[in-house]
Amino acid sequence: MTVNMTTREDFTHDAMQHAPQLFSTAMRMTRNRSDAEDLVQETFIKAWRSFATYQQGTNLRAWLFRIMTNTYINKYNAQQRKPTETELDDVEELFLYKRLGSVDQSQLSQSAEDQMLSLFTDDEVKKALEELPDQFRIPVLMSDVEGFSYKEIAEILEIPLGTVMSRLHRGRKSMQKMLYEYAKERGLINEALLPQGDDE
Amino acid sequence: MANCQETLNEMYAYLDAELAAERATEIIGHLKVCTDCQSAYEFHAEFKTIIRVKAQNDELSEGFLDRLRECFGDDALNDA
Repeated sequence: MTVNMTTREDFTHDAMQHAPQLFSTAMRMTRNRSDAEDLVQETFIKAWRSFATYQQGTNLRAWLFRIMTNTYINKYNAQQRKPTETELDDVEELFLYKRLGSVDQSQLSQSAEDQMLSLFTDDEVKKALEELPDQFRIPVLMSDVEGFSYKEIAEILEIPLGTVMSRLHRGRKSMQKMLYEYAKERGLINEALLPQGDDE
Repeated sequence: MANCQETLNEMYAYLDAELAAERATEIIGHLKVCTDCQSAYEFHAEFKTIIRVKAQNDELSEGFLDRLRECFGDDALNDA
């Protein structure tokens, strides 16, 4: 196969635009820098090798994320299908929102809902994502971090649309619970402040 | 117009821009008149933003981008 310089330069340039986002997602997938760097490198090598099959006009970003996700799943034997029911606790709806009142106000300089969210550190958000089992973590990463549509996520992961939606839903609720637990560990939560017997 | 239960059930689909225009309008209609749902909606919109902003700021190691550029070499094509 011969590739002229312009094609190569264009493709390299376009692919490199996505490197920082691919790297962040790779960090959340592999949970460490060296594996994440390897994963992005492997993704680019594979993308370049299959450049001949890349159709001009298709979404390069989704294509790169698809290659990276497949590479990750194959390389790390990530369990992709049929999560068992016990893999994530069933968390109640609006878990975090219902506990807004439990934030110890003395920990805050301001008030109301934004502050609970601002309490969470970057590391805590990353850790909550990284603790999700793969089959929930990847849809949440693709939707909340990368902004892909349900249809794009279904294509990237080769799972049905309904499965994308249910895994996103459960993954998000589970993250809320983890973040709440982290805040509790840091002494930011006073559960005595919550209304009693208000379970809906 | 959608009711509270429908609005909460479909809140994320709306936030993810996955609702058909007509349905989105019904949800917006409810959010405009229901402060409880409006407040839950704002919280979850903020939560989605927080995840994106806080999980996407990993610094690249020095030299990593250069190593990545080397992935687009002749070798890769010849090995294929």
